[in-house]
Formats: sequence, structure tokens, C-alpha cells
Amino acid sequence: MVVVMTLLGSCKKFVDYNPHEDFVVTDQDYLKSEDDYRTMVISAYTPLQWLNQVTVIGDIASDNSVAGGESASDVVPLQQIDDFTLTAVNSTLEDLWKVSYEGVNRANYLFQYKDKNPAGQAVNFNGKDALYGEVYFLRAYYYFTLVKMWGDVPFFVDKRLNLTDSRSLQRSPKAQVYAQIEQDLNAAIAALPTVQAQKGRITKYAAQGLLGKVYLYEGKFTQASTVLEPIITANAFTLVNDYASIYLAAGENGPESVFEIQYTNGSPYYNWGGATRGQGNYSVQQNGIRGISGSAAMPFAAGWSTNLPTQNLASAYSAGDQRKDITAFDIEAYKNAHPEYAITYKVAPYKNTGLYNGKYLPRKGESSGQIELNYLNNFRIMRYSEVLLMAAEALNRGGGDDGKALGYLNQVRRRAFKDTNHDVTASGTALKQAIWDERRLELAMDGDRFFDLVRTGQAAAKLAGFQAGKHELFPIPQQEVTISGLTQNAGY
Amino acid sequence: MQFKLKLLAGITLLFCFVNAAYAQSLRLTGKVTQKSDGQGIPGASIVVKGASSGTMTDVNGNYTLNLPPAGGVLVVSYIGMETVERTVTGAGVQNFVLSDDLKVLNEVVVVGYGTQKVTNISGAISVIKSADIKKLNAVRTEEALQGQVSGVTVIQPGSPGAKPSVLVRGIPSFSGNDPTVVVDGSIQTLDDLNSINPSDIESINVLKDAATTAIYGLKGGNGVIVVTTKAGSRNQKTEFSFNSNFGLQDVSRRIGVLNAAEYGAIVNEGSVAAGGNIIFPDLSILGKGTDWQKEIFHTAPLQSQNISARGGSEKMTYFLSAGYLSQGGIVGGYDKSHFNRGTFTANLTFDFTSKLKFILNTTGVLLDNKGVQENSFNSIIGSALNFDPTVPVYNNDKSVVSKYGYSDLLLSEIFNPLTKLDNTYNTNTGSKIYGKFELQYQVIKGLKLNSRFGYTKYDDKSKTFTPLIFWGPQNVENGLDAAGNPVTGRHNNVAQTKNSNFNYTWENFGNYNFSVAQDHHFETVLGFSMAKTTGNSMNVGRQDVPFNSWEFADYSAATGTNSADNPNAQTGGYYQYFRRNLSYFGRVNYDYKDRYLASFSARRDGSYAFGVNNKFGNFYAGSLGWVVTGEEFFKPAFIDYLKVRGSYGVTGNENTTPQYVKIATGGPDYGPTANSNGYNFGNIFYPGSTVASSRNDNLAWEKQKQLNVGFDLTLLKNKVSISADYYQKKVDGLLFTPSVSLYLGTAQVPTANIGSTKSSGVDITVTYREKVGEFSINNMFNVTTMKNKVTETNTDGTARILGGSYFNGQSQTVTVFEKGYTPAYFYGYKTNGLFQNAAEIAAAPKQPGAQPGDIRYVDTNGDGVINDNDRVKIGDPFPSVTLGWNLSMSYKGFDFSALTYASIGNDIYRAYERNANFSNKYRAVLGRWTGEGSTNDARNPRYIFTDPNSNIRVSDRYVEDGSFVKIKNLQLGYTFPKSMLKNVFKSMRVYAQVKNAFVFTKYSGYDPEISGNGNLLENGVDRGAYPQARIYALGIDFNL
Repeated sequence: MVVVMTLLGSCKKFVDYNPHEDFVVTDQDYLKSEDDYRTMVISAYTPLQWLNQVTVIGDIASDNSVAGGESASDVVPLQQIDDFTLTAVNSTLEDLWKVSYEGVNRANYLFQYKDKNPAGQAVNFNGKDALYGEVYFLRAYYYFTLVKMWGDVPFFVDKRLNLTDSRSLQRSPKAQVYAQIEQDLNAAIAALPTVQAQKGRITKYAAQGLLGKVYLYEGKFTQASTVLEPIITANAFTLVNDYASIYLAAGENGPESVFEIQYTNGSPYYNWGGATRGQGNYSVQQNGIRGISGSAAMPFAAGWSTNLPTQNLASAYSAGDQRKDITAFDIEAYKNAHPEYAITYKVAPYKNTGLYNGKYLPRKGESSGQIELNYLNNFRIMRYSEVLLMAAEALNRGGGDDGKALGYLNQVRRRAFKDTNHDVTASGTALKQAIWDERRLELAMDGDRFFDLVRTGQAAAKLAGFQAGKHELFPIPQQEVTISGLTQNAGY
Repeated sequence: MQFKLKLLAGITLLFCFVNAAYAQSLRLTGKVTQKSDGQGIPGASIVVKGASSGTMTDVNGNYTLNLPPAGGVLVVSYIGMETVERTVTGAGVQNFVLSDDLKVLNEVVVVGYGTQKVTNISGAISVIKSADIKKLNAVRTEEALQGQVSGVTVIQPGSPGAKPSVLVRGIPSFSGNDPTVVVDGSIQTLDDLNSINPSDIESINVLKDAATTAIYGLKGGNGVIVVTTKAGSRNQKTEFSFNSNFGLQDVSRRIGVLNAAEYGAIVNEGSVAAGGNIIFPDLSILGKGTDWQKEIFHTAPLQSQNISARGGSEKMTYFLSAGYLSQGGIVGGYDKSHFNRGTFTANLTFDFTSKLKFILNTTGVLLDNKGVQENSFNSIIGSALNFDPTVPVYNNDKSVVSKYGYSDLLLSEIFNPLTKLDNTYNTNTGSKIYGKFELQYQVIKGLKLNSRFGYTKYDDKSKTFTPLIFWGPQNVENGLDAAGNPVTGRHNNVAQTKNSNFNYTWENFGNYNFSVAQDHHFETVLGFSMAKTTGNSMNVGRQDVPFNSWEFADYSAATGTNSADNPNAQTGGYYQYFRRNLSYFGRVNYDYKDRYLASFSARRDGSYAFGVNNKFGNFYAGSLGWVVTGEEFFKPAFIDYLKVRGSYGVTGNENTTPQYVKIATGGPDYGPTANSNGYNFGNIFYPGSTVASSRNDNLAWEKQKQLNVGFDLTLLKNKVSISADYYQKKVDGLLFTPSVSLYLGTAQVPTANIGSTKSSGVDITVTYREKVGEFSINNMFNVTTMKNKVTETNTDGTARILGGSYFNGQSQTVTVFEKGYTPAYFYGYKTNGLFQNAAEIAAAPKQPGAQPGDIRYVDTNGDGVINDNDRVKIGDPFPSVTLGWNLSMSYKGFDFSALTYASIGNDIYRAYERNANFSNKYRAVLGRWTGEGSTNDARNPRYIFTDPNSNIRVSDRYVEDGSFVKIKNLQLGYTFPKSMLKNVFKSMRVYAQVKNAFVFTKYSGYDPEISGNGNLLENGVDRGAYPQARIYALGIDFNL
């Protein structure tokens, strides 16, 4: 027996384990080639798609749309945001918080191992700097999302946090975060090309546009115009004549597109447990008209009547504005205009406005796999028209040339009305207001409105239920407050 | 079918053989009885000394035997009783009375790596014998544990062949509470119990305390179910046994939902209240409408057939059996849901030499399953409960191609259950072979070496066909249009999977039994084992099955090919896994004059899964016992036997997998954090990579410390026996996912040893036997209590896991595992009646959206606002006490038995209502609030489509008391007297049986047993759970 037991010493190996036995690639095996780096950068883009509901919230929290849904008990997190009854327990906000930080961590990991990989080797290749330009942009985008939603947030740039870093951070002043965002975007601008071979890759213009927007949020108007005007003078973009066509599948990444979050139905997903984590645009299904059916040629597919544009939005458009019908899509009018489609649908059961988000409606054949989760519609995050409006605002508010600002504004209006009769003639404060109002008309249902109202100080005046001093920011997720001991935003 | 034919042919052949074998002389008959109570002893062995002939007694203790004309010496024996020898020279009646003084003293039970005399056990073991297993005609073996042994809580599902939740002594863990299953020494899992034929089982021992389970180390933490299958005996004449049982199953209860007219009225009311239109202008035309439940439930067959042969010569023994079981499902009937099993067993032993013995146990199993969608609002049952009752069963609209009716109100999510059932196509067939090779070598007297290789090989393949379906002209999920043509962009799909698994355990151990100074007895075991589990799975899917037909549903016939527009037309996947364990173990049992008992066991376990700093762990247990009646000073007249005992020890749990920093490359992720990869540029998808997990080098096992104290008492000339135990379990290092700062992102957080739990309870078994003349009665009562608490998950209690998710318009979760509460309790709002008027709302804590008639929720934290922070414990899915009562009576040839099982304190959460505007509703809505003072019952708020108060949120409104008493089994049998059997049969018994005969419960659903199928967080959440059928059966057993 003693002999047997001695022999058994060698058996100990039986319980040793190497992840390679399970064909698992570990951190030590990776980032050993250009290809590894390029592949990893692609996944730094991924959380952009998961920020899906930021766009939805940008309108629902504002006067542009209501949460809708099946009943008051449907999409409760959005209902509470809509009604300003929100609390720190909000699953949608909690997810967005986590997702933004996953984005930060993915970018940070790439910076952590930029010069040397986890195995300690340097991997250099042509275009590495330009590739990292994209990563700089992405980190800035994630942090910008965090500060515009929550204000002061935990802030780290040197590495991907690991388990031992849990509960180690407190909130940093948003000024510090903004400083890093500026630094990252400037680094991105310096490294990025103006044109990318692949549509949807971040370009120098996208970085300039985002930096311009960040400067506007910071009230740095001179810097904003300095970074925005080169986009205009580069003549790289044109406004698309047919506004509605921008939002068709064929209009994606078009001549007006500065930055879009890319979605596709080409990688079908089935996971209801992570509805926004596929390659498809989940909000499109949310926006859809309930129970819509009709002839085979009828283009729309059914959805869940969420994020319904308000009459307030619809009536903000003047007659002849081509943006109205697509932005506040009137199903009854459409049905009557197209008897050949033999449309039937169910009236939105809750908070019905009769209007739908025509920019992002589910259309037949544009999804795959689990139909609800895989719509291909890109979010048009920044279009050239917004660059013009931002430049106009920066000039107007930064003491620049109001005439030039007016010119930018009217470019946008001429496209909208297809004439010059609707040009604005104003200056100073009136021009500022005109630009702000135009932003709403041009960008409605693209997820900008709420943040714009807060940024420009108009929120309390425009939004029923909005409490100044509280609702400018969303509550830090309760779970994070409890686990990490973060301070809560005022009023929550 | 082919299989059944073969079985029949086999039986016929055996008949011929048996008839030939019995044309002999000197016929003996008689009865073997027990001295204490005069009862017949079933299964006693009667052997002719020196010859190979012999027999066994039947259930009543009767036997028939043919002796050679010269006569011989009969040896009558029964395990644990005195053996009697008698010389017989003539034919006739020979009765034997065996002294059972020795019965209690010498009966042995199987424990880990050996056997032990019952009287010398100082740990806690529950035992159930073949007769009690047989009586149930159970589909799965676990059923036999319900109500028949103390210390085990079984929650059974109704779906044919489905796995129940089995808890041995409470809920100590989160990561898994399935007990380990050991079949004839080979280690298996609870899942494997679907493939054991219960009629092959000789006994089941449940090892409950640390003293008995610590020798299984990290596999022992949840208790061990030791299954011993039948074997032959030496020098025993072949005995053939046949059992046949046929039954019909139906559903005993229905859930009250609205009929068409009621539905129309409520829908109108809900719509108008929300500012909408009248939906059904004329309620008078609606009538009763369709009762969808009636349409989906069918009477389904259940049958089992078994044949076995057992016996042995001087050098070998054998037990051979073949069994067939077929259970149809009551939902959709046999064609759509069933569980069929064929088993073939050969248990053989060979004596190579007088010292070297070889044991070969082999069981082959064929499994065949079909199932319907279960356990959600859109399952078959869920659809029947939620679908529009105004729709006729059969379609009467000639403009559309559809067999069954359609709804113009429900356009997605909830479908006609019959259309759904009709289009349910799947099959799963598996084959399994398991068993052991074992060599035993008797070195010297008392020292035996064993080498045992136990294995399980399981392969299965499954196929699911999802056809294109037309649901209704306005339905948004149609795959076919009204004319029956495919809708552009929609494809049917066939998915096929193939799994292959192989597990083995190789155990080597020595048993050395010796005595010191005559009265000091030692039994020792020392050994080691290596175990490995491996498996892999492959799956493919393909669209465009020809003719949209099940007949052609196969990957090879489907024609889909991938294109840029449709990357789903042809799919495939593969994964593999393994586990490895290495263990050393030992045990010493000691007794002094069978009076003072002690036992100590130890195990050192290594697992591939644990962190490099914690590869091995040690588990110890010790126990002490005192047979009080062994003392000269303790001889009260009414006490036959008294033993007090206690044990303490440590066992473990290794329900985790290795941890590493993984770089995942690819696309969408299906893990718990959905940490997806990849992105697309211009609609072309590119895979990406990222850090997907982290490592924890300190990962170790859960350590479960268990204390047990108890006693065994036999009273009144063995008429009454009582066995009672109190236990306390404490788990440290509970494997649990910690809560980490959310700013760490979405990479998967590894399990860590962060929690602890506490469980305690009492197991009591009382048996009472009485015999008056030819009438005998046997009662066995058992009581099992459990009290569980999660004492820690992490230091601040933020680590919690939600489960029991369901959908009623929004995704809800109702169960939680967290610090300070019972495991998997129900979590939600407390209600306090209904708001009767605006003044009450104004005076109440702020509750957004509330109107008169809405539920008044309780502001449990007193902050003046009703919000998520007010959610509290509203129920517990687990019973605090379960009771079993097994009654059997016999009079002459008649026997009657009844098994009653009661579960007390378990709550049920009603989660089958979809609660869509046009879904059908639970009948209680008829008692809804309709104006001030109409009702104040929070279960019946006003009905309004928009539900601005969210009356459907998770609250105690949906919690019902699920306590129940079930008459699980009623059986009346008749055993034919010998005189009627001539020479053909040794015994014959016929019986009639009703299973799940009566259920007494307040629960409004089908069945108050809502099983989580082994998933802790799923118990008690009724999403339209498959109810257990009531079964009426007839059966016959005979021996040749």
C-alpha cells in the first residue's frame, strides 16, 4: 500500500490544468501580431452598439417623444425617464453605465499594451498610430457619454481594471474627464486619416466633429469653431437633398454622414437576455407600429410602439418642411395615402400620439435571426447638418461672425424646405435661439434633444416635470452606489 | 414498436424453456416466516445443499421447490437472519421460521467503499427497499424517494421523464444542490437516474450526514444516493420474474380562465377605461367560446414491462433483465410528447479462484423523447391559458389556409395553442451504456483489495423542425401567407444536435477488517480514485426543408445555403468539455462488543477546476454511537433496541470550472453578461476580440460542516421503531459570483469563495407494524423539516442572484439568492388592499400612477415613496416540512397500500398570465374593483389596459399558498394462492393502481408541485408548469 501511495505522487498532474486543453486563448497568448491588435480594436467599437438606448432616452426624456409601449407597466425604466419619476434603480441606465465603462476598459486595455504586449514583446506595424487614433476617439466617446449623462464619474486611463480594482475608485470631477476627452480627441485628430476604406470607421472629421460638440458642452465656443470649421472648409460632405432618404438602408454612411453607429442584420443574434448586445439595432423594433400588416409591398414590419413622437414635436415643423413626415411619421395619414397596401395595425395602447419614429422604423427584410433584435439601421449620430449647426452656434456664441453662422444655419433650412423662402434672418440671441430650435427640427429622434436642452439651459422651461438642479443628470445606478460607495447625484 | 415485438418474442421463448425445466419430481411448498411477528419473508433463499437447485420466496414468503427424488438438505437463509438447515426426504409442505433476533444485528447496508452492519452505524442513512420502489411503478427513481424516506425533499415535474428537484437535507449551496448518485459503486449524477429501471433496484440508501458522506469528499456535500441493483445468488435456481403495467393518464384539474363572453366584457372594460373603443360591441354572440385547455390536454398511455432472470451456480451469479417503459405526455398526447426507455441489464459475478472475484455490471439504455414547449406564457399550456377564447377551434374562414381558428386581436407572441402544437416537431434519441468492471482479491482473511472501473457512456441526437406557419391574416409573425405560400424572407429550419459523453471513475481500495483482543472490532478502508468526465456536442442547422414538412426535415434534405442577405441558412457549432478529479480516502470503523461505536473517515480531493493555490482539499468526519440496550443495566421490557449517535464532519462541493483570463474572438456572446465582440463596417461583419474573463488562483471548494445527532429505537417487540435525527449544516466558502464595481465593465466575473449558508432540520421515521390473524398492517411515517438561510454572499451583501424570470408585458424576476434570507425566496412588493378613492391616494405614500381601484403597495422602508426599494420577501418556494405516510395492509391474498405525501409551507408564484390587452385572463378578474367599496382585495384591482399603477408588478398579489397533501399512490393487489397456480407459476399477483389520486391544496393551478428541474431559482414559479398526471393503471407480476 505504501508503494502504491508513493506511486500516486505522480498522479497529481492529473488535476493540473492548462486552458489550452480547452482550446482557450489567454491574455498571454494574444496581441502577438498586427492582426491581433486590429481585431481587438474592432471590439473596442462594439460597446457603441450597446449604447443603443442612449439615443432612445435622448428623445423620450425630452419633449420630442413619449415612452409609449404596451401599457404603463411596459418599458418601466423608460416610462420613469419620460415622466421624470426615475430613481436610482433603473435597469436601462444601469446597463448603459456598465456598457460605457466596458468601452473605456476595452480602449484602456489597448493602451495598456500599446508598446508591449502582455508577454512583454513590442509589436510594431505600419498604421499602428492611425489605428490607435480610432481607440482614442472611442475612449473619448465613452467618457463623453458618461459625463453628459452622469456628470462626475469614476475616471481611469492607464489600464483595464481587474477584480482587485473593484470598489477602489470614487467619482472624479467632470472637468478632469473633459480634459482627457479633449486630449484623446486631439490625439485622434492627429493620427486619423480623413477617409477610411471601410465605411463606418472613424475618420479625422468624426473626431473633429465630436471634439466640437464636446467644446460646446463645455462652453468653449472659440475652440469649437476652430475645430469645426475645417470640416466645412474641407468640402468633404454635402447635404442630401431628400432628407428622408438619409434614413433608408441605402442612405447609410452617405455623403452627409460624419459618424454613424453601425448596425447590421449580417450577424444574426438570438439572445433576449442581452437584447442590445448583438449587431442589430434593438430600438428599431421598439419604435415599430403594433400589429402592422398589409400587402406584400407594404414596407413596414411590426413593433412595440415605443418612443412615440409627440404632437408637440410634429407641430414644431412649419408647413413645407420635408423633415416632418419622416421625423413624426403619421401612420393614419400614411395608411390613407396608400390604400394599395391594405394596412391594418393596432393603435398604440399606451401614450398613443398617432405618430411614430419614421427615421428608425422596422422594415420588412431588414432584420434576420431573432427578427426583433437584428435590424440593420445605423444610428446617424452625427451628420454634416449638425456640424453646420454646431459651427453656427460656436460662431454666434463665441463672438464670431454671425453672418457666417446664419449662412450655415440657412444651408440646413434650405435643404429642409427645398427653397430659400424659409431662410432665417436674425442675429445675436435671436440667432442663438433659431439655431437651437433648428437643432431640434433637424436632429429630432436622433437622440440629441434632451442633452441639448440641458446643455443650453432650456430643459426646465420646456419639459414638464423637470426639476432644475436634479434632472440635468441621471442618478448613479443604485447598485454602483451600494457596491462602490459612490456619492449620488443631487436630488436622487 | 420493433423493440416491443422483440420483447414479446423473448417472453414467449422463455415460457417454452421454463415449461421444460419444471417437469420433475418431489415437489415441496411452504412458507418462510419471521419469528417475531409471524410475517412471511419475501426473497428468502431456499437452496438444496451441495446442489445447484434452489429458489426464493415470493412477496408473501411462500415458495415452491422441486427436490431430486432422493431428497436433500434445505438451507433457508435471509440476509440478517439465522440460517436454518433441514433434511427433507419427502414431498409436501415444509414451513420454516427464521429467528429475527439477528435481523437487526446483522443486516448490512452499503456505504461508501464497503458495507456496514446497520447496528454499527453511527451516521445518518435512510434506506428504501425494492418492494417499496416496485409498488410505485415509478418512471424515474427519484419518485420513490418522495414521501418514503426522511431527510429528502423531492419536487417532481409533470413532463414525461423530466428531472425533479432533489434536496438532501436543505439547500446548502447555490451552485448546485443535486446529490451525488452512486450506482453499484460507480459515481453518476442525478441526471442519470432517467436511465435506471426502478425494477432493477434492490435498495436505495441515502447517505445524509458527514460521517457517511465525507468519504466522497467534494462530491458528498449534497448527500449521496447509493443505488444497489439486483444480483443473483450462488447456487440458486433460475428465477424468472415478469412485471407488466398499463395505465392511462389525465389531468385532474383545470385553471379557471374567462369564457368568451366574460373575456369580451373584460376586454371592453379595459379598453374603455383606458380611453379606447369598445372591442366587442355585441357580447351576446360570444357565448362560452373555446376552452383551449380542454383542447390541448389528452389522455395519454403509460406502460412498463419488465422481465428478469436471476440465479447462480457455485462459481458465478447473474441477474439479467430487460425493461421497457413508455410514458405519453398529457399535453398534446403521446404523438407530441413522450418519454420511452428500454433497459437491458446484466449483473454478473465470477469466482476465478476462491480468492479472486470478478464483477461485471452492464446496463444498456435506449431513450426516446419528444417534447412540447413548456414553462412560459407562450408554451402550449401558456398559450391555452392566454389565447383568445372567442376564436373557434377550427377555422371557418374559407379565404385563408388554416386548420385551426385565428385571432384578429392577438397578432404576435400568443398563438393558437393547437396550431402551435400541430407544428411542434422534435425528437431526441439517446443510447447509454453504464456499469463497472471490478476485481476483488481476498489476500488473507479480513483483507480484501478492490479495483473498480465504473463508467457511463451516453450519446444522443436530437432534431427540431421549425416549420413556416400561418397564424392568422393580420398576424405579424406569419411564415406563410393566407394562401399558404412562404412569406418573403422567412424560412423554415431544421436544427440537429449530437452529444457524446464519457465518464469514468477508477477506484482502488483495500478493506481490512480485524479484531483486537476479541471484542475490539475494526473495519478499515484505504484507497484512491481518479475520475474523468468528458463530452462534446455538435450542432447544425439548415433552412428550407422541402415541402415545409417534418417528413423531409433533415440537414441532408434541406436546401438552404448562406448568402450575404441570409447568413443563417446553414449553421454549425461544436464544443467540448471535461473534468478531472484525483482523490485519496480512508476510513476506520470501530466497535467494542457492538456496543460502543466510532468511525472516522478522511478524504483528500484534488480537482482540475480549482486555482493553482488550492488544488487539494481535505475532508474529515467522525462519529460516535452507543447501543444503550447493549448495557446490562438498561433492559426495560418495552424497549428492544436503543442506539444514540452523533457525527460531525466536513464535505465539499466543486460546482465550478477553471478560471483564466480568456481572450474571446468572434461576434455576439450568449454568456450571462452578453459581452459581445465584433463590429460591422458598411454592413459587413468583422469579428473582434476582447478580454472575456478573469482568473482567481485562490478558488477552492465549498466547505460544508455538518453536525448530526440522532437515535434509533425499537419498541414493543419490534412493532414500533423510531429513527430520528437533528442536523445542522454550515457552508463556508460558498461558491458565488461576487458583486464588483460596475465600472469594471462586462467581462465575466469569476466565481469566488465568498458566501456562507446555514441549514438545519429534523428527519424522523416511525414505523408501526401490527398483525391480527391473517390481517397485517404496516405503517411508515416520516417527517422532514428544513430551515435554510443564506448567511453571507459577500461582506456588504450586494452579491445577489436573481432568477425565476417571466414575462407579463415586461421581463420580471421573482426569486433571489441573497444574504440574510432563505435561498431563492420570492421578492417583490407587499400589497395592502386597494385604493378606494382619491383621498386615500393623497393620504398614502407617493405611488406614481395610482388611481382608485389600483393596488395600494406597502411603503416598507417608510420613505414616503413607493419604489423598488420597498420590495421585500413575499414568499418562499420551498416547504418547511414534508410528511410521508406509507400504509400497507394485507389480508389473505389481498394487499392494499397507500402513499400519502404532504408538503407544508411552500408558496407558489403565479406567473403564467401574459397580461396583454387581448390575452385571456385569470378568472379572479371577474371580482375586480368596480367602484368605491366594491372590493378591497389586492388580488382584484380594477381592470384597465394601460395599467398606470403597474398592478402587474411582482407582488404578493400573485403569491399563493402551495401547501398540499397528495395521495400519491393507491394500490390494491391480489396474490393468487398456490393452489391456483398449478406448477407453472411460483407466484402471481395482479393489482390496480391510481397514482396522484387526490390532491388537497388551496393552490388555484394544476399542480402545487412546481419543480425547478434541479435549478434552485426556478422552483415554485408557475409559468404554466406541466402538471403531473393522474394515472389509472393495472398490472400483473408473476414469477416462474
